[in-house]
Amino acid sequence: MTLTAAVTPARVRRARLFRLPVTLIAGGIILLISLFLGIFPWLVAPYDPTAFDYNALLGPPSPAHLLGADSFGRDVLSRVIYAYGLDLQIAVFATVPAFIVGSLVGALVGYAGNVVEAVFGRIVDAIITFPFLVLVIAIVAVLGPGLNNMYVAVFILDWVFYARLVSAEVRVQKRLDYADAGRVMGYRPMRIILRHLLPNSISPAIVYLMTDMALAILLGSSLGYLGLGAQPPAAEWGVQIADGKNFMNTAWWIGVFPGIAIVVTGLGFSLLGDGLAELLRTKK
Amino acid sequence: MPSAATATAPALSVRNLTTTFSTPAGRVAAVDSVSFDVMPGEVLGLVGESGSGKSVTLRSIMRLVHAPGEVTGSAHWQGRDLLTLNERDLRKVRGGEIAMIFQEPMTALNPVLPVGLQIEENLHAHTTLDRAGRDRRARELMDLVGIPEAGRRLHDYPHQFSGGMRQRAMIAISLASNPRLLLADEPTTALDVTIQDQILKLILELKRELGMSVVFVTHDLGVVAATCDRLAVMYAGRIVETGPVSTVFAEPRHAYTRGLLGSVPQSGAERTMLLSIEGTPPSLAAIPPGCAFNPRCSFATDICRTERPALLEIAPTHLVACHHHDRVAAAGSPVAEVAAP
Amino acid sequence: MNTDVLISAEAVTKEFRLPHSFGRRLAGQPPLAVHALNGVSFELHRGETLGIVGESGCGKSTLARCLVRLLDCDDGKVMFEGKDIATLAGADRRAFNRRVQMIFQDPYSSLNPRMTVRQVLAEALSVHRMRPRVEIPHRIAELLDLVRLPADAADRYPHEFSGGQRQRIGIARALAVEPEVLVADELVSALDVSVQAQVVNLLLQLQEQLQLTVVFVAHDLRLVRHISHRVAVMYLGRIVEIGPTEQLFSAPRHPYTRALLDAAPELNPGHRSTRVAARGELPSPIHLPKGCAFNTRCPFAFDRCFVERPELTDRGSLHEAACHLTEFGIPSAVPLAEDAPAP
Repeated sequence: MTLTAAVTPARVRRARLFRLPVTLIAGGIILLISLFLGIFPWLVAPYDPTAFDYNALLGPPSPAHLLGADSFGRDVLSRVIYAYGLDLQIAVFATVPAFIVGSLVGALVGYAGNVVEAVFGRIVDAIITFPFLVLVIAIVAVLGPGLNNMYVAVFILDWVFYARLVSAEVRVQKRLDYADAGRVMGYRPMRIILRHLLPNSISPAIVYLMTDMALAILLGSSLGYLGLGAQPPAAEWGVQIADGKNFMNTAWWIGVFPGIAIVVTGLGFSLLGDGLAELLRTKK
Repeated sequence: MPSAATATAPALSVRNLTTTFSTPAGRVAAVDSVSFDVMPGEVLGLVGESGSGKSVTLRSIMRLVHAPGEVTGSAHWQGRDLLTLNERDLRKVRGGEIAMIFQEPMTALNPVLPVGLQIEENLHAHTTLDRAGRDRRARELMDLVGIPEAGRRLHDYPHQFSGGMRQRAMIAISLASNPRLLLADEPTTALDVTIQDQILKLILELKRELGMSVVFVTHDLGVVAATCDRLAVMYAGRIVETGPVSTVFAEPRHAYTRGLLGSVPQSGAERTMLLSIEGTPPSLAAIPPGCAFNPRCSFATDICRTERPALLEIAPTHLVACHHHDRVAAAGSPVAEVAAP
Repeated sequence: MNTDVLISAEAVTKEFRLPHSFGRRLAGQPPLAVHALNGVSFELHRGETLGIVGESGCGKSTLARCLVRLLDCDDGKVMFEGKDIATLAGADRRAFNRRVQMIFQDPYSSLNPRMTVRQVLAEALSVHRMRPRVEIPHRIAELLDLVRLPADAADRYPHEFSGGQRQRIGIARALAVEPEVLVADELVSALDVSVQAQVVNLLLQLQEQLQLTVVFVAHDLRLVRHISHRVAVMYLGRIVEIGPTEQLFSAPRHPYTRALLDAAPELNPGHRSTRVAARGELPSPIHLPKGCAFNTRCPFAFDRCFVERPELTDRGSLHEAACHLTEFGIPSAVPLAEDAPAP
């Protein structure tokens, strides 16, 4: 007695792919463009970002310099484009290590439960009570300015958020029958945690990662503005805004366009995060 | 259509009830041209598995189906069509003349109001009793449904009752204004078997005492055998067979009914293979052409794949929608011995 | 029948502590607990199907989990082939897991939503080294065939299957490690009636084919009667009656078993009664009644029932019941037990 499989036909499965949330597509497009600019800036940027043009010092937007020029005569458009690479790098390096380590710790804590979770909860409380930016600045001030130190500072604080998200989800998942099935199968706890529970608990962390990347760019730019992050003459949006702060009345374009780039890229991450959240929600 | 030979008029008469929903896959019919009658004082069982449309049928009759669902057809009650009644008259009928009880009393009862208050709300809306009268009636009802210490329990909240007691409380609320028709949507499915037994017997007793008709939605044919006078079997939103319980059990005329009867284990045939129906019910968005059951039917022929069978009366009050009902009848009933109730 | 005892439970006891409320702490009282199992003892013989039936709160699911060691007993022991399973560790424990498997009730949470059927089965096969790497795809196809699923099911995800099919996948997963004992915890309760029949038929066939020993936990009396060689009836954490299926159902020796039978709706419209099978409600497992747990609802309870808890005692030919009324239910010239005065 064989039964015909009343299983979703391939045709229907493919049709579902085109029903992706709008936010996901919009965010995806913005980020794909950003990624392209980040990897191949020379294809788009008209000038070298460090090239001085003494004829256009503080020059307004013109055919030669579409977004104007800064106090050194550097082309604002080119600098904004070249900054993509660096700022996207910041977005990734400042968040992904925390995501990886935090998720792993969170999964272990969530599975262990009881005392371990209680202790962990107190650590989390302690860390998140402090204002994030202030702590980061303090740590960087101690370690010295520069992007690498910023990455360290952020990592020390950021992993907690991921750990909390993942441990909460693991706590729910471990009660489900498939986790028990794994135990009845005689699988070791590590296998159950990593192979079974973690993939099913990671969605909230992934969605948060998107938002976190947007925040990381803001953070990097803030630190760059304060002179604690990327150092001049690097093309980084925060640094550019710092350059432009003295000229807000006379040459507003120096600070405003990098600001717009931050907003748009941050928006891209945000939309992608929203879209992912919706996609993952409906998939359940 | 039911025979005109019946002397008494039906209490509830549903004709061509169709409920559709718009889904990403298009317009889907959860209930498709459903017609049946409920006679005064009888218990009609509406039987089907998940996705058969039985619960949606009840909700459609009571106009509890919200957009994007659309309901067409008619449901005549006491000479008026429920589906076209204006809001004010409908409110009078709902809870007053027609009452409904649900499967999950915890979600059907308001968790933040004491049970006594919920009974009194019903009385207030549908009777002209004064405060004292309502209080007395509420106590009577709690006694009627077998809740001990009625006076004290009136002030309790739903979560303070056990599953069976909550179901009794829900019955008390729904019976407050002496309805003539009770629509019961799987009221005992979530209960333990001994509690289910108590609730079923209670419903039957109340039906006798109050002269109500009952439409009893269930998936359990054993419950049908124990409580119903007639049954209507639903599949993929359509009625495939209706008739008196003992007749249908002794001589099922639709392959699905026969399959359902065979799926229930009976005493005397232990550890033998159950008569099972191959395959699974179709998704409502992809109902096969012709007879909806044809891919799973061992009696199916070409006509079944192209022409949808109409619900025909093959004997007084026994209707079936099948091109080959004779062959199904000839195959015999899987139920060992059936005596009339 | 082979009387080789595979599993034996001896006075298994399990309780679940409730959070210790402040009031009780102040009063110096211990925290309240749900007494899920209160001294359960039975033997499981090789090759048989033992049905465990009861209503909510009877502890049957807890018992099922204790048998596969998903839960540890607070008191008493579960012996597998003469060894206490609580003492097994490491490789021995894994060997035990291999030989005693479980299938779960909920088809929607018992499969990892992010693993394909192939991944699920391959994992089971490789962790227990059931087959060398190259033979795994072939074995997966065999397993799918065994549970009557099409071969292309292997690369699909659980959400693409119906409830009945998911239960089959769960069965395939359990069978992948070639167990000797299958504990089925409410295997078909969440399925439609017609699908239940399919899965039950499959289980009957597999048992024949693979000589499995099955513990079938369910609340549906008709199903348990259909599939089991022996049945144990549980109430509030105890076995109240245990014996060969037909004997137990045609002549129950415990008032609760009789009540369950009377309450279960049969497919016979002619056989209707207005008398309620059992009055009253299930007592809370937090506050167990003193004496026999059924005394709050039993129509035959007398003074001894409120003081002394009855133990399982012999009623002839492998049939035991825990009731002070040792004569209850004897199918003989004695008039209806209900009319007879209490001893």
